[in-house]
Order: sequence, then structure tokens, then C-alpha cells
Amino acid sequence: MAPKSSSSAKEKLIGEEEEVLQAVILADSFNKRFKPLTTHKPRCLLPICNAPLLDWTFESLALAGVQEIFVICRSHADLVKAAIKNSKWSKPNAGLKIVPIVTAKETFSPGDAMRDIYTHGIITSDFVLVTGDLVSNVRIDEVVRQHKERRKTNKDAIMTMVVKESGAMHRTRSRGDSAVFVLDAETSECLHYEAVTGYPPKKYASIPREILAEHPEVEIRNDLIDCSIDVCSVEVPSLFQDNFDYGDLRRDFVHGILTSDLLMKNIYCYIAKEGYAARVKDTRSYDSVSKDILSRWTFPLVPDDNHPGGHSYEHLRGNKYIAKDNSVVLSRTCKIGNNTLIGSKSQIADNAQISASVLGQRCIIGAGSIIRNSYLFEGVVIGANCVIEHSIIGADVQIREGGRVAKGCLIADGVSLGPQARLSPFERLSKRRQEESDGDDEDENDEGGADGEDAEADDGEDGDDEDEGEEEDEDSELEEVEANQDPEALAKLGEGTNAIIWPPPTVDDDEEVDELENPDNQRLMRIGDEALDLVLSDPGSVTSSESESESDSDEYDELYGVSNASSSATSLPLSVPTNLVAQADSAAITEFQNEVTQSLERAFAEDHSVDNAAVELKTLRMASNVPLRRVREAVVAAIVNRIKIVEGGNVPQRKEIATVIDRWGGLIDKIGGVDAVETVEVLQAHCASSDRLPLFGQILAALYQDDIVEEDDIRSWHAMPSSQGEDVKSTSLRDNFKKCWNFDEQESDDESSEEEETKVTAKVEVEEESEEESDSDDSEAEAKEPPAATAAAAAPTGAGPPPSTSGGSKGKAESEGSDEDEEDEDEDEDESEEANEAPAATTSIAKDQGLLPPNTTEGKSKHESEESEDDDEDEDEDDDEEGEEDEEEEDSDEQVGDHKRSNDSGKP
Amino acid sequence: MSGMATEGSSAANQRVVENLASRLRRRQVVGSRETALETVLVLRQVVSKARFSNIDQLVEVIRSVGRKLVEAQPKEHTVGNTVRKVLHHIREEYHTATQGTTAAASTSRSTLSIAKFVLQGQPRKQNAPPKASDETRGTLKENDPDDPDAFARTLKPVLMEAIQDVLDELETVYDNISKNAKDHIHSDEIILTIGKSSTVEAFLKSAAPYRKYTVIVADTAPSYSGHDMAQSLSSAGISTVLVPDSAIYALMSRVNKVILGAHAILANGGMFAITGSLLAATAARAHSTPVVVCSGQFKLTPQWNLYHEYGALDFADPSSVLGFEEGNLVDKVDVVNPYYDYVRPELVDAFITNDGDHPPSSVYRLIKEAYDDEDYEL
Repeated sequence: MAPKSSSSAKEKLIGEEEEVLQAVILADSFNKRFKPLTTHKPRCLLPICNAPLLDWTFESLALAGVQEIFVICRSHADLVKAAIKNSKWSKPNAGLKIVPIVTAKETFSPGDAMRDIYTHGIITSDFVLVTGDLVSNVRIDEVVRQHKERRKTNKDAIMTMVVKESGAMHRTRSRGDSAVFVLDAETSECLHYEAVTGYPPKKYASIPREILAEHPEVEIRNDLIDCSIDVCSVEVPSLFQDNFDYGDLRRDFVHGILTSDLLMKNIYCYIAKEGYAARVKDTRSYDSVSKDILSRWTFPLVPDDNHPGGHSYEHLRGNKYIAKDNSVVLSRTCKIGNNTLIGSKSQIADNAQISASVLGQRCIIGAGSIIRNSYLFEGVVIGANCVIEHSIIGADVQIREGGRVAKGCLIADGVSLGPQARLSPFERLSKRRQEESDGDDEDENDEGGADGEDAEADDGEDGDDEDEGEEEDEDSELEEVEANQDPEALAKLGEGTNAIIWPPPTVDDDEEVDELENPDNQRLMRIGDEALDLVLSDPGSVTSSESESESDSDEYDELYGVSNASSSATSLPLSVPTNLVAQADSAAITEFQNEVTQSLERAFAEDHSVDNAAVELKTLRMASNVPLRRVREAVVAAIVNRIKIVEGGNVPQRKEIATVIDRWGGLIDKIGGVDAVETVEVLQAHCASSDRLPLFGQILAALYQDDIVEEDDIRSWHAMPSSQGEDVKSTSLRDNFKKCWNFDEQESDDESSEEEETKVTAKVEVEEESEEESDSDDSEAEAKEPPAATAAAAAPTGAGPPPSTSGGSKGKAESEGSDEDEEDEDEDEDESEEANEAPAATTSIAKDQGLLPPNTTEGKSKHESEESEDDDEDEDEDDDEEGEEDEEEEDSDEQVGDHKRSNDSGKP
Repeated sequence: MSGMATEGSSAANQRVVENLASRLRRRQVVGSRETALETVLVLRQVVSKARFSNIDQLVEVIRSVGRKLVEAQPKEHTVGNTVRKVLHHIREEYHTATQGTTAAASTSRSTLSIAKFVLQGQPRKQNAPPKASDETRGTLKENDPDDPDAFARTLKPVLMEAIQDVLDELETVYDNISKNAKDHIHSDEIILTIGKSSTVEAFLKSAAPYRKYTVIVADTAPSYSGHDMAQSLSSAGISTVLVPDSAIYALMSRVNKVILGAHAILANGGMFAITGSLLAATAARAHSTPVVVCSGQFKLTPQWNLYHEYGALDFADPSSVLGFEEGNLVDKVDVVNPYYDYVRPELVDAFITNDGDHPPSSVYRLIKEAYDDEDYEL
């Protein structure tokens, strides 16, 4: 039959069009924001608009054509499993295959869950990753399509995050937990992600400089709601597996991927223009998402149309929804305000007022009670003349006549309050456990007791091992809460209550509480909390450069400097308020320098080969992402500091220098690029700021001898204005720069004229001496050094290699020629031997031209960049910088001292 | 009764039905004609696979499917209408096939009396010529214990034909409505329309080769479907003017005729149509401009009092009125965004259907002809 075949063909076509789309739901919240409501129930089973959150999530996914869903559950896994089994989704015709997966108790973060997914090996293609508290009507299939399209051209596009544009003050946008997204305006690639907490207010985000350099147009946005809908490719779980420290999906994973230069993966954003998507991640968003549902932003996912719980409601003027089955009893004089949902079999007595609230099924509201902005789960009984505001009230709670529930209260399932109970704002109540409540409160009403037994029975059903452990956990927590009850506070809950009061959230010293879970920040996520007393930044401001004035920056740094900088290791004072990127950079660089010093010290001490040391340095550079120049600086500094200041004349000193340079000089060119001019510059800069100043010429000569620098390089260095210390502000430092410059001029230009050189050097040394005395922040040991150095330099100096003046204090250096030969031979073979032999063979080394690698002039010079920065500086900031540099000088001097001492002790 | 249906076929049927139901619920299938077409296709499959041994079982199967679909999306009225129409056709075919056995019943019903006029308002059935289908009558056996499928086997081809009739009607509805277009539209007329109704679009376009006239299309905020309409009409060579909704009243004095589309036509002659239709119809009434509604008969809905229900207007999400990014305002303003207007019968002058032109006052009679009384409540 023709029509029949055509219809079946059509079905087939539909089947072929969509390959199986998988989704993973993280059904655990991994935090305790809904406590105590979640004591006996996971968050994803809390009802919102009378349907469990998990059902809303399923519906959101089904809307997108997802066919296979894995539900990752941890706490109360059996309840989740049972809920899935009993829901309409597991009926054969639902078109959804839902597989609950119970993870180990040790799963403490979404990252752990992702690793678990990896181990299960359930993911076969691109999948949708959502949390179990999602309410959305976004066309996720469209996002998946775009994601797949992108993957065809770019295999590194591993993830697409769905974000929704909202105003800065939108009720659904979390104030406590938002983020700055840096997006490429054209491709909407997410270039940088930085989590923002509401309190302490985050005033600036640091954006890596490269991003601005590489992308002509970027959008920096703080007005996006992160919907927590991610379309991920298969390798995302494996990335979690590789990086075992990734916990949070956003703050660790996204931030980590984007800041890593090794992974080279891209993450994209999908800015949902149409549709609604939001997470219920705290009680505040519970409130706002409920309101969004009631005011139909989630259409067609609205109570009267496609209610995930399968209830049907009648939509009345003013967005009131009343259960359709005619079972609701509304008194003639009660007032139902706008944006209200009333579940079936509820009864509302005379003169009761209900507005902007959700009532579950079988709620009973007594005469004259007022309920505003509150959420009552099923079976709640409210007595006469109660007032309930901005609160969430669990199932089967009983509040007797005259009760007052102030804003922000959370009352867990089964609590019953006595008459005239008074709850102060933000109080959290749960039911006393059965054993104790029986003993303590003899007069507890029957109904409450029955409820309690029900709850116990429920608990008994879940006989899983894991769950018992869980229960124990919960119990111990409950016990603790119970043990610390304040009788006075309990008295306010009225006669015959079975409630216990949970203490307000505090920072636990033992536990590591991150910024997000900070109680002050959590206040921004609490229902009904306006948090007006907290000083909050303007949520619309993204970059500090505009919002922050210079004057308050200091104070601010004192308060929050550590938490805001990208690396916590920073201790540098912030000199330029506008240049925050530089601040973060300098922090990273300090850390890097420390690392390099340590690494080189180890190399020196354990006598690594140059190649091995170079590899280590390269890795370090990759890890810290610093420019090559910094590496060079660090290496040169380490090598120069390695040179012992030898007392007793020029010759032994020169020999010492040659030893060190021969051994380690090659490292300078092996760190990833050769730039001899820069090497000289760096050397100058280092020598100028350390007590190795007198050695500059000799070191340079030794480098020249080893073909690390060539004459042309020295000349071009010499020609640079920065070499004379022109842009150095500190006068003493500038003088030192000049000294190096002058000093070397003699050396390089006129190697043979020893006499003149000697004079100049001597003069220099005298100046140096006086200078150092005037500086006078050096330690005693160092203060003694200049005379010795002077003496050394005053002897026949110059870079010119004096052939036969060796000897001096070391008796080992006799037959030069043989030693020289020996060294040439040994150089490649036995480096440790070389190190021992080297002191004897330092003085003259045959030059071997032609082995010098070609010079490359790469990178912009430090001085140039400094120049541009310096232009902006004021006088007082100069002082700052000088102080800073002095500090550094001190540090390096100390190091030198250490070296020296150890070297001294090692001497024969 | 349906227990007799075997597991395999009923499971397949259920899947098809659930699939459409969930797509209706999620608004993945929208539009009166689209939903009607989908419903017919589902019903055809259900009937072709269903197992039944008498007419009541078959009717019950179809009704249960209809109930599910209507519950899934009560606001797409054509779903229910299509189910009723199919039931009506099937009964008709059945009566034709079993003329002899039910002759007594039909003769007893055919005694006309004023008192029973409303109940018997099915002139077509009574006037149906007794087709001599001897071969079917001979083999048609209900509730045959030896061969329970015999009834289904013999009746099915006829039933499929009946359903095919419904399908054909839906597929040709635009052509049938617009075939008389040039009789309604005269040269140099100015016609106002609103929204993008495919029926109206086809109607206007089919008159274009014969008449030279101007169409004023209103914006139709907040969906702005008027933009597409204007685009489509003007690309068909019709001189088209796009105006904001606020200009409708001001322009009405120049307009010769208002042509509207409908979402559903109620038994009282009123109708649901896209937001803004009421505005246009009321303005037309003020200027005594005729209002003509183009609509297929599949939109005729037996209900008549739906407009009492506030929710019947199908309130969509507020985002097209107030952007989600307006942040601060969202909390402070309640936005209502009804998708449909209810246009009272007094405001409509004529319905142009695929089966002739009718005044609103005779809609009830069309409904009586089209559906069986017992199906008003599925």
C-alpha cells in the first residue's frame, strides 16, 4: 500500500538523521547550599514548581533530542535511582534511555565525576554535559550541531559552553558566582575565563597580554549567565583524567585549558539568543528560577503546558496557576496574588493571602495567614494567622497558629513548630532525629511522629553500603548540630517543636574553604538576602583599570592583593595601577626566577651536563610561560654568581672566571635562542646591580674567549643607548651601568693597551668603593669585599689574555700547554673530570672561530620596554622602584655571600 | 477491548502516538495545518496496525489516541478536529458497508421531528444514497469468534480510503480556498491583512494574476510575522505596503476589505487568530469595512466557550516583548504575551472555506455536518 510505505520511509529517515546524542547529568551538587533541605534528599530531587529538578533537566534534554542520558549520582544514589525508575521517563515510549551511574563516595567534585565517567568508558561521541538542576528550553541540538561543525575544521575545539545574555542586575544571574568571559567577537571562542566572586568584591580580571595581541577584537563580558550546559567532545573526560587536580568544571577545567600553552585546546561559547537556561545552584537561584518559570520565560516548559511532573494547571490572569482537577479549595475571601502556583488538593482558608509563591500538593493554609515569596513543598500545613516570607519550607512541615517565619529561612522536611513560633531571618531548621525526639519531647504531636517514622522507613530501604556510610556522615553532622542547641533559641520555636536549629555558616579553620563557599559570598546566594551591608563592587564593571582609582588601589591591594593576583606567590608592590597584567607577570617571573636559581644550583652542585641543564630550563620556561630574556637573565645571574671572588690579584680571579665560563657558559646559548647582544646587556644589568661589578670586563672577555659573544655583538651592545644606563632611574645603578660601559670600551676596543686600562680600571674601582660605602646597605661581609676586588682588578687587567701569569695561589697550574690539550680532549668526554681539571687550564684557550652559532637578534630589549613603561611613571613611583631594586640587590648579595662561604670552605 | 490487540503492533502504535504527543507538548509541531497533518498520519498508522473485531473497538482505539494527543496540547484545536473528522468518516464508511444490518437503526433515526432536530442534524448521513456494496456486506462479520480479524481485514481498505480522504482534504485545502479568490478581490481594492497565514497568502497570491490590487500588511508585533508576509506577497508581484500595527486604525478608512487567517473557528462563529487580529477586526467594524476570514474547514472546532478561559490565548514567553537582557526590569514588570486574539463572531462578516463561503452564524451547522455528536468530547 503506497501511503503506508511512504510513512514508514519517513520514519526511517527521521531515525537516520539523528545519531544517538548522549548526555551526562551530574546529579550531585557537591556543595551544601541547600542544607538542611538536602539532609534526606539530594538536591536534584527537590521540587521546583512542584516537579523535581531532575525532571526539569530531563525535559530540557529531551527537548533537545537527547536519546541517551547518564545520570551520575553520589549522595542518596538510591533515591535518585528510584526516582528515575518511577518517573515517566523510564516508560518504554519515552524515547529516552536513562542510565543511572553511582560513583564512589570519594567523588568530591565534578572533576572526580568526570574522571569516573572516563573510567566507565561510556562516552562514545560528542556529548552534552549538564548538571542535575538545570531548567532550560534552549535548543541544545543547535549547539551540538554548531559544535560538530566546528570540530570538522578544528579538532582542538573540545567544548562549547552555553551562556545566556542577561543584564548585570538580572535576578537569575548569580551575584556570588559569576565569571568574566573574554570572547573573540567573531568566532565567539572563549579566550579567557575568570571566575568572579561577589564578596570579597573582585575588582579586576587579569587578561593575558597574548590574547589582546593575537585577536583584533575581543569581548570582555560579565553579563552572561553560565547555563552549565556544555557540549563536550570525547576527550574532555580524558583531560580530566590527565589533570587529576581539576575539580571544578569552570574554575579549574576551563581556566586551566585556556591558560595552558601545552594543551592547545580551544573552548567556545554559544551565546543563546533565544530560549532560557539557568541552574538552580543555590537558594537564591531557586527563587529566581521559580519566578522565571511562573512568568513563562521557560515557555513551553510552563506549568500549564509541558509540566515535567505531568501535572496540569490552569493558567489564570496574572500568571496564577491552579491545579486543573478541581481539587483545590479556595475560600471566597482568600487573596491569590500574581505569580502563584497552587498544587492539587490544597486548601486555602478565609482571608489568607498568597502572592508570588509556590504551594505544593495537599497544602493547607490557615485563615488569615500571609505567604509571600515562599516555596512550600507538598503537605505543608500552616495554621491561622501565620506570616511566611521569602522562605523555603520542606514537605510535611507544620507551622501552628501565629507562627512567624522571617525571610530566608529554610525548614527541612517533617519539622513541626509550636504555636507562636518566631523564626529569625535566615534560620535553618531540621527535624530532630527520631530516637532523641522521642525521649526529649514527650508531648510531640502524633502526626509529627508518624512523619518521622516514615522518614526512618525510607532511610531503611536504602540498604547500600555506600549509603550507610553517607547516613553516618549525615548523622554525625546532625549530631553535632543537635549537641550544640541553644535552649533559648529553641524556646522561640514554640511549645512542642521537634526542630533543631542549624548554626549560621562559619568558616571552618580545618577545612579549606574556597572563595566561592565563603559565608559572606554565600550570602549572595541565599534566598531573600539582599546583602545590603556587604560592600559590593558594581557588578557591571569588568576591568579594574576603569573602576579603580589610584588612591584606593594601595589600600585595596593590602586587603585583597593576594586573592586577586593570578599567582599567590606575589609579594611585589604594585607600582603602576593601570598595569595589572604586568603585576601578575612579575609575580610569575619572581617565581620563575626562584625556580631557575634552584634548578641551576642543583645543576652546579650535582654537576649536570650543560644539555641536561638546558632541557630543564626549557621545561621551566614552558611551565611559567616567560619570555626568553627572563631565562637569559636568570642563567647569566646564576653563572655570574657562581664565579667566586678570588682574593689575591687579577690572575687567579681571571682563572676562576674562565673556569666557570668554560664549564657553564655554553648554557647561555642553549636555553632556546642565541642573542649575544642581549647576553651582554643582561650581563651588564646583572653586574651593575651586584658586587660582581668589577668582574664585568673579565667575564665578558671569558665569554668572548668561549665564542659566546663576538666582537660585533659587543660593538652593537656598546652602541645601544640603554647600555649606558640612560633609562635607569636610580643614580647609583646608572653609574654602575656607565662603568661597565666605559670599562668595556677600553677592553673591547683596545685590548693591548694594558697601561691605560689599568688606570681606568683602578679609577673605576675607587669610584665603586666609595659608591658602595655610600649605599651602605650591604652586609658586613660584602662591605669588606670591594678592596679585595679592587686589588684583583688593579693588577694587569683587561680582557686580554695574559698568557703566562697564572700560578698565583693555585699550585696546580704549571704546564699550561699540556693542560690545554688535555682539556680540549676531555671537554666532550668527561665533564666531571673537566670541572676538576679546569682551574689549571683557564688562562689561555685557543680560539676556535667558526663554531660560533649565527647571531640572532630576537625579542625586544628589556630596556626598550622598560623605557615605555617608565615614561608613564611619576617621581614618587620612581622611589618605589628604586626601593624595590635595592631589595633585589640585597637578595642577590646575600646569595653571593652564601656561595662564597661555601666555596671558601671547599677550597684546598 | 483493546487487550485483544497484540503486543507488537500496539507497542509500535504507542510509540508513534507518544512521539507526536511529546512533540506537540514541546511545541515542536506548531501551526493548525501542520498539527492536523501529523495527526492524520499517526491515525493512519494506528488504524493500519490496530486489531479489532467490531466497530466499537476501532472507535475506542482512535478515541484513546485522540485523547492522548489532545491532552498533550489542548491549544492546537485541529488535532482534536482531525480525530473527530476521521471518526466521522470511519463511521460513515462502516454504515455504508453494513447498510443492511443497520438499516433498522437508521430508519428509526430518520423519522424527522422538530423536537429532535438538533440531535438529528446530520442531513448528509440521512441523504447518503444506499450504496449497494453487496460483496462487503456479504463478508462483513463483526465479532466472529472463529476469525476475530475478519472484520478488520474486510473493513481496513475502506477505512484507509476514508483516512486518505481526510488527508487529501488537508493537502488541497489552500487550492480549494483560493480557487474563488478572484471573485472576492476586485481590481483597485486595498486589502488589509495581519500576520503570516499560509491560507491568506495563497488566497491573495492566486488572485494576483487576475486583479490589480494593493495589500497593506501590518507588522504583527511581537512576532513580526507580517514582515515575512509582506516579503512573500511583494515577491509574487502584488503591490504591498508594510505598516506598523498602530497605523491599522488610521488606515482603515481607506481599506476596502480586511482578510484574516484563523487558528481555530469556534462553534459560535468566533475565532482564535494571531494577536492583532482583534485590533484589525474592531477597527474594521468601526469603519464598517468587511472582515473576511480565510480558513480550511479542518479548523472548525465544536467547542464554543473557550474564550472564557484566560489561558486559551496561549501565552508565550515574554522574551519577544521584554528582552531577557533587560535584567533589572524583568523582576519588576509582569509581561503577558498572548499569541492569539479571540475575535467575536459579530466582528466577522464571512468565512471563506474550502467548502464554500459561510457567515459566522452558520458555523454551528458546518460543525454538525463535519463531526459526529458523540465525539464532541473525546
